[in-house]
Amino acid sequence: MSSLILHLGILLAFPPLLLGVITKTKAFFAGRRGAPLCQPYYDIFKLMRKGSVYSVTSNWIFRLGPLISTAVILAAGIVLPIAVFKAPVQFGGDIILFIYLLGLARFFMVLAALDTGSSFEGMGACREATFSCLSEITIFLNLTILALLSRGLSLSGIFLGGLASSWMQVGPVLILVAASFFLVLLSENSRIPVDDPETHLELTMIHEVMVLDHSGMELGCILYTQALKLFLFGSMLVSMVLGLMPRNVWGQGLYFILGILGLGVVIGVVESAMARLRLNRVLYLLYSALIFSIFALIVILVRGHV
Amino acid sequence: MTLLLSSLFVCAASIFLMLALARFKKLSSYVFLGSLIASCLLGFFCAAGVLTHQITDLAFRWRGTIPFEEFYIAIDPLSAFFLLLLFILSLAAGIYGFGYLRDYKGARNVAVHFSLYQLLILVIALVLTARNAVLFLVAWELMTVVSYFLVTFYNEKEEVRQAGYLYLIATHTGTFCLILMFFLMGVHAGSMNFDQMALSAYPLGFAGLLFVLAVLGFGVKAGFIPLHIWLPQAHPAAPTHISALLSGVLIKIGIYGLIRLMTIVGNFPLWCGILLLAIGIISGVLGVLYALGQHEIKKLLAYHSIENIGIITLGLGIGLIGHIYHQETVSFIGYAAALLHTFNHAVFKGLLFLSAGSVIKATHTGEMDHMGGLLKVLPWTGHLFLVGSLSICGLPLFNGFISEWLTFRAFLEGVFHFDLYGIMLACIAIAALALIGGLAALCFAKAFGAVFLGTNRSSHPADYKEGDLVLQAPQLLLAAICLWGGVFPAVMLSYAFEGARPMTRLTAPEFLQEAVLNPAFMVTKVLGLAVIFFLVLWLVRKISLCSCTIDRKETWGCGYARVSSRMQYTASSFARPVLRIFRLPVSFKVESRISRGYFPTGAGLSSSVKDASEIFIFRPVFYFIKKLSRALKWIQSGFTPYYILYILFLLVVLLIWKLH
Repeated sequence: MSSLILHLGILLAFPPLLLGVITKTKAFFAGRRGAPLCQPYYDIFKLMRKGSVYSVTSNWIFRLGPLISTAVILAAGIVLPIAVFKAPVQFGGDIILFIYLLGLARFFMVLAALDTGSSFEGMGACREATFSCLSEITIFLNLTILALLSRGLSLSGIFLGGLASSWMQVGPVLILVAASFFLVLLSENSRIPVDDPETHLELTMIHEVMVLDHSGMELGCILYTQALKLFLFGSMLVSMVLGLMPRNVWGQGLYFILGILGLGVVIGVVESAMARLRLNRVLYLLYSALIFSIFALIVILVRGHV
Repeated sequence: MTLLLSSLFVCAASIFLMLALARFKKLSSYVFLGSLIASCLLGFFCAAGVLTHQITDLAFRWRGTIPFEEFYIAIDPLSAFFLLLLFILSLAAGIYGFGYLRDYKGARNVAVHFSLYQLLILVIALVLTARNAVLFLVAWELMTVVSYFLVTFYNEKEEVRQAGYLYLIATHTGTFCLILMFFLMGVHAGSMNFDQMALSAYPLGFAGLLFVLAVLGFGVKAGFIPLHIWLPQAHPAAPTHISALLSGVLIKIGIYGLIRLMTIVGNFPLWCGILLLAIGIISGVLGVLYALGQHEIKKLLAYHSIENIGIITLGLGIGLIGHIYHQETVSFIGYAAALLHTFNHAVFKGLLFLSAGSVIKATHTGEMDHMGGLLKVLPWTGHLFLVGSLSICGLPLFNGFISEWLTFRAFLEGVFHFDLYGIMLACIAIAALALIGGLAALCFAKAFGAVFLGTNRSSHPADYKEGDLVLQAPQLLLAAICLWGGVFPAVMLSYAFEGARPMTRLTAPEFLQEAVLNPAFMVTKVLGLAVIFFLVLWLVRKISLCSCTIDRKETWGCGYARVSSRMQYTASSFARPVLRIFRLPVSFKVESRISRGYFPTGAGLSSSVKDASEIFIFRPVFYFIKKLSRALKWIQSGFTPYYILYILFLLVVLLIWKLH
């Protein structure tokens, strides 16, 4: 029970900071002072206190969809180890549950978008569903490879200690997987170069146009969920790259925090240095993520290290 | 066994009763309802009793009653598992059919239809329990013929007759392979009894030959791509409750046949497993892609059946490969996953077909792009369809997730226990399964969104009427099973493992607890947490909304003043980007007619996918057969003396052959 509360505490408190770090980095590159680090928290709290506007077309799916997706992604966070803390719930095969929970959250967001009957939201929903089809394969392959290397079917087994020795033996594989994972992270969390939340034209957006009509608390939930999802992906990537072990709690924990802040900076740098890709180019990005992970698999098979 | 026999007896008796009472339409319908409930409940208890070891007399023999062979039926856990799904689904679909045809005013005799329905249940039960190849084939053929009559209920329509004809031809072609297969096995084993057949050893090459025949024969029924062409035609043509039964039970009988062969023959070469995986991947991915390209809701569901058959076949494939690699754990999980998905698919696909039927009954159209916003006017149907969609996408909280999880689990175990070649196969299958899952979610977001969300796109929307309790109750039953199977999966999991026992040497209980039931319990725990989180958020929202204002406005139309419902994203446009990505395998085409001039009229856009196996495989084959028949037409002159001459000629030839 205490581990569950601790885990939930981290999941509730930390993620918006990551968004703040990204914004700050982008502001630095643009030569501005930028919003304070804690701006995402202020935004979420502000939205939580606001009233909502609902379309007369919409049903309960529009109103509750964002809440469902927040709850489901929080539950997905429960099976994922964070920093040096094992997941409160872990079992063989929780990899699959994790990915399917993300899928469930997405399904309800897509339905909520279609519920408005707006063609913009339909467009966003359609793009989100299409691109996530492709990134889902990559996530599955990556996690399969990691499971194969760490010989465990549970996320805690993989990301806490399972990969530490693999860096010595099959480093290149892990580099490929990390690269592929980073690309998927960008696309799943609608960052540049896949999606640009700050553009002024709805026609070019993916995720942002899908949530165009939400307001008030629902929008707050969406904002928080976005941060949470980024945090979950980031924590997987950082744990994998650092090869964390469940011992030496303070040192490893410090590494993790530095790692995840570093990830925020890297994403910020990527966002500052790149422009958004044209929509049909996004596919190539996803293909290359897939190809990275297929290469990683081939390297494993050729070396025969299993 | 007594239970099953009495259930079958009720079926048989009700057939005669209904035919006798056929003139009294109402009375015979009520006879149907009563006998259906009685026979299905009896059969259900029998199947559940076998799966929980409470029933021990498992065989019934009655010597010398059909020519050449004995009448021998028996239930093992495998049969019991399929009987379970047969009785549950035919109960639900039958009650729905009773309600659906209540106000039928056409020329067909409904009593005959209902007695055929009962006969179908009877012969399917016979197929599932037959332990003799001749009996099996007789029941199999009966099943095909009876279901043909059920499918062509609306046979005043040309396309229904066409679809029925195609169905009959396709499954007969399959039966040809089956007769050949059982003949070869019978000659090899010296008996047509399955027990005797299982005792003899089959050389690997011979087993491979049998396997190919079985895949061809049973695969036509199951709807493996490219043998599936009858399936998307027959499902929309049939009345709704028959489509549900076709998709839920009938195509699964093909899967049952394949599994039965695997229990009899035992050892197969590795390429058989790879063949199954390949079929699974092709059927799964292409099935869902074709489904995405459909505009008609029943056709979409029919293609989804092919996709799910693909997932089931993937489970069977990993089961067989695990068996070949002597990894009994992997094999056991794989087979059980296939069985569980068979059951789950029967339940949620039945639910989806029934609720789609309600939609069609209310709107009088199956075109998704002419619907929209139906959740408000058909709330029950809409929410039941939503439950079915969530289940079929394999999303957590519903039963589809448990079986997909188990299938993934089998492949991941395979990754750990196989050699490099096996790992490669397993990884390819995992990627395919992930793709299938994503595409299925997209497809049902499209279907549910286009039909139930947004506003109505129809040019003349009428006031739609929700169906009554007789139509809702079977759907509610199936939806409840979906939810129960997702939240408390332990019972169905243990049934599935029990059902898979005839195929492996492992015994279920001790292995089950460790590897499957504990994780399944954990899944429930996580889902429970998710529900708690949701309730907390919902409460927070309730409280915070007390002090805030809520506005209700029109959906923002980007400042455009005359927004109409035709501006919404349609089902076709929703599926377009992903179909563009996969345009090669499904030959996706968009054709637009843009009219020019000062007063443009008649612009249009149409998109379509083409079934490659129909165009590239079946059309040339049928064309060839047609040409051949035409070339031989001169034999059939229609002039009687010629035919007498043929007989004489044949007799002379036989005489000469005998004299030599």
